[in-house]
Amino acid sequence: MTPRQIAALSCGGLVLLLPVMELLLPNGLKIGSLVPPIMIFAIIGLGLNIVVGFTGLLNLGSAAFMAIGAYAFSVVTCPVHPFQIGFWAGLVVATAVGALAGLVLGLPTLRLRGDYLAIVTLGFGEIVQDVLKNLDAITKGTQGLNPVPAPTLAGYAFTSANYAPWYYLLLALLGGTVWLCANLRRSRTGRTWVAVREDELAARACGIAVVRAKLLAFSLGAALCAAGGALWASLHGTSIEPGFYDFQLSVVVLCIVIVGGLGSIPGVLLGAVIMIGFNSIVLTKLTDLLARHGVSSTNVLASPGNWKYLVFGLALILMMRYRPAGLLPAREVRDELRRADGATPEAA
Amino acid sequence: MLRRLPPALAALLLLAASAGHAAENITLVSSLPRTGSANVQTTSLVNGIRLAIAEAGGTITVGGTAYTLTYLDWDDASPEAGHWDPAVEIANANKAINDPDVMVYIGTYNSGAAKVAMLPLNQAGLAMVSPANTWPGLTKPGVGEANEPECYRDHGRVTYFRVVPADDIQGQVGAQWAKELGAASVFVLHDRELYGLGIAKMFRLNAEKLGVRVAGFEGIDGKAANFRPLINKIRQSGAQLVYFGGTTETGAGQLAKDLFNAGVQAKLMGPDAFFNKALMAGAGDKALEERVLVTFGGLPPEQQTGKGKAFVDAYRAAYHGEPEGYAIYAYESAKVVLAALAKAGKKDRAAVVAALAGMKDYDGALGTWSFDANGDTTLMVMSGNTVRAGQFAFVKLLGK
Amino acid sequence: MSPTEVVLQLLVTGLSNGLIIALIALGYTMVYGIIELINFAHGDLMMLGCFLALTLVGLCGGEAASPWLVIPLLLLAVPAFCAGLNWTVDRLAYHPLRAAPKLTALVSAIGVSFIFVNLGLFWGGLPMGVFAGGTQAAAQKDFPDLIGYRNLLGTQSGLQFTLKDVLVVAVTVPLMASLTWFVRRTRLGTAMRAVAQDPLAARLMGIDTDRVISATFLIGGALAGVASVVFVLANNSLSFWMGYRNGMDAFTAAVLGGIGNLPGAVLGGIVIGLVRATMEGVVPNGGVWSNAVVFGVLILVLAFRPTGLLGSRAREKV
Repeated sequence: MTPRQIAALSCGGLVLLLPVMELLLPNGLKIGSLVPPIMIFAIIGLGLNIVVGFTGLLNLGSAAFMAIGAYAFSVVTCPVHPFQIGFWAGLVVATAVGALAGLVLGLPTLRLRGDYLAIVTLGFGEIVQDVLKNLDAITKGTQGLNPVPAPTLAGYAFTSANYAPWYYLLLALLGGTVWLCANLRRSRTGRTWVAVREDELAARACGIAVVRAKLLAFSLGAALCAAGGALWASLHGTSIEPGFYDFQLSVVVLCIVIVGGLGSIPGVLLGAVIMIGFNSIVLTKLTDLLARHGVSSTNVLASPGNWKYLVFGLALILMMRYRPAGLLPAREVRDELRRADGATPEAA
Repeated sequence: MLRRLPPALAALLLLAASAGHAAENITLVSSLPRTGSANVQTTSLVNGIRLAIAEAGGTITVGGTAYTLTYLDWDDASPEAGHWDPAVEIANANKAINDPDVMVYIGTYNSGAAKVAMLPLNQAGLAMVSPANTWPGLTKPGVGEANEPECYRDHGRVTYFRVVPADDIQGQVGAQWAKELGAASVFVLHDRELYGLGIAKMFRLNAEKLGVRVAGFEGIDGKAANFRPLINKIRQSGAQLVYFGGTTETGAGQLAKDLFNAGVQAKLMGPDAFFNKALMAGAGDKALEERVLVTFGGLPPEQQTGKGKAFVDAYRAAYHGEPEGYAIYAYESAKVVLAALAKAGKKDRAAVVAALAGMKDYDGALGTWSFDANGDTTLMVMSGNTVRAGQFAFVKLLGK
Repeated sequence: MSPTEVVLQLLVTGLSNGLIIALIALGYTMVYGIIELINFAHGDLMMLGCFLALTLVGLCGGEAASPWLVIPLLLLAVPAFCAGLNWTVDRLAYHPLRAAPKLTALVSAIGVSFIFVNLGLFWGGLPMGVFAGGTQAAAQKDFPDLIGYRNLLGTQSGLQFTLKDVLVVAVTVPLMASLTWFVRRTRLGTAMRAVAQDPLAARLMGIDTDRVISATFLIGGALAGVASVVFVLANNSLSFWMGYRNGMDAFTAAVLGGIGNLPGAVLGGIVIGLVRATMEGVVPNGGVWSNAVVFGVLILVLAFRPTGLLGSRAREKV
């Protein structure tokens, strides 16, 4: 075995056995309960990766699709409304509603040029937040819908107190999503997407139905984001509130895709670990550590959380400067960048 | 890349390990927004809690065993939200649930945050004591949403307690005060948040009952650059008083300023979330002077007597400053929690919940009060305040 | 108030707010026109300008400072600071990425925006009187009222028209006019238009494209600086999160008018100002929908005119 394979295998083993191994650890060392958010964001990142990475459409509104999924799920499962169809049916409905929303937004706007599309998706994100906030009768405004049910599997009901079932359920769903994305990428559809990304005009000239390819990518991406949103709501037991699904969140998802490597599936997974892990593990532990040693957060500089965006921002800039293809880039993106470098040597 | 991971992981584990701690310890946590403009208020709250723990000497004897008291000051806000963040609140609740040393969760500041944390904490049987939540539905049936408060209670078990009076009382005294001031018509605004909208509805309901005309009832976007177009609307309506169900973080300062700058004579009334120094910082003294009216649960520091006065004096001595409005509630929360721990007789979450639920005629800084069957305080004193020379000034007792 | 007064008031408020948006939008549109970069950090640059303005006023004595001294000082120092900062950021973060795919520079700009927001948060913690002693870093800050709020039409008038509205017009309109003149008539302006049209051809014609791009960042930054001074003088408040909302309004204005098009940006800004004023000032409970309507208008306009109101037909590569 090569060192790379050994590393991959041990990583895989660690991921599989984490909840079991944690039983042996003291409290301060346990991080397993913080992993489910990472897995949900990996699913969302994979959805956005289809749109931005495979097809080259800049979508700045992934949080809106997450919100649509979370709220669709909450409406059909929350006791406030009469449906209460349960977790699994709710997840299916949320995913379908997400796909439909992607289609509805995509139809009139996908013929726009890249940056115009970006601003439209950004605007869509703002509209969704406002609509959810204002349709008080359905969404309960900023209260959010709650309680939202956790899954039940073969009679076993999940709770927030025990994270291990969540861990394995999400691991399975994430695995399924990875499998789906990898197969899509290799399929005829996937090659169509890449053709559209590389040169829309040439793709059209070759007889590819560009708009249909874009629409498919857009609504598939939206569906995965929505599914992620539904899982997020279920994990937290509430749809949370509309303001949570803001532009910052869209940017975090975009960063997951870009930091890992546009178009690269392992890249997205690593991106989720880094971006969400930094947030929910490193920052949390650091804040705890400071709190235990009596450093209070009265001074704005003393709270590690207050440095978050500075660190995010710096990381993004340095990354774009020195590893623009991401940490685990897709092969063709890496090659392309290398070629671009060679073509214009004076640009550096 | 993968080969670079292990050192990073090791560093992380090291970090986590150093956060571990010894046994014979009871941990109290608070989950309050420590980032954003609520921070001055919550710093004062945290000081109140620390004071209570310091007075106990940092230790407590429960059932004959001496325990070290550890207090953890958690933030439930994120800078990008500027106020409490639901994801952080959930993470805090889960962190508390998964730490067996944690006996009580003191929080939250915002009622919206409480809604998120209450059910998981309830399922875990961990007592939650809030020094500041005022949304009535958290405890009282029939005043909030249809499924409240049952939806926060697994099998109807009450694990949530609050030492502060709820908003149904505040909306009522606010409307009463507006009528006493001679306002024939009022314009009611809200920030669309749980707290703001809830209290604005209470105010409207009570104003109408008292025969005060409600000239308008509108939501605002707290992040707007200014409210000038809205002010035009208010001027047109001829309202004599503007009520804003909102907070300092959701535009109270800008609203006061824009009203003042547009030459509107109507005063601005707001609920207890106005009662903090961030209002002065955001609006400037000129726009507030005798023009803003704030209702607040309980008495301001200088009106306190007895144990309340003792608290204010101890606070001044320890922190060289004035306690903010809610500090005394935080202090009282921590005190009643310590009393409940001692009463429980063992380090056990269920016993602590039972001890809190059975807390009757507690003699504390706020007076003598009890928790009722819903977990509410039996205390109901409200004060009306305004701003004079850049400071909050007590005007009168309300609701008596 | 009579219906005429209501409409006039709406126009005054809408224009006054819209012109500030337009001023920020110009910076977006100029940079986009020349290097096709959505400069996400532009709104936050304007936010930092506001913080500098408050710091300077605090140093000059706050409320007590003489407006005749302070306003010119602000109008000099803040644009200079923003121009310098914008230029520096371009050199450090965007310039090395000129040959890379467009998305790369965009992500870099998002990174810069994050850093600016974080710096704004820290700046709010400065231990100065005007920052409430630095104890409330994240809270909204009050900017001392230097101009006054006296109604120029008299206290009895139903219409509110103050010196602040005059200031907004007096600063922005001449500035926009001279910018148009500059781009149309001067050598550097012509060079800018050439680079915007075709960077390669421009370079072949002997234009130093690097210098032209730097100049664009300087001018765009200075405009953001002016916008921040006008903003704080007119609205008397600032906060570290204000850059996002203002930047987004401005960006929407630029796209609405046709990105890359200077008069288009101004038109877009005014449209947004008026739409917001109508929603918030006339429509019952319209304030809660004003964001959605602004973006709804944007999506509608783009669906029918994919290059904005005044944008030229798309010149896609062939």
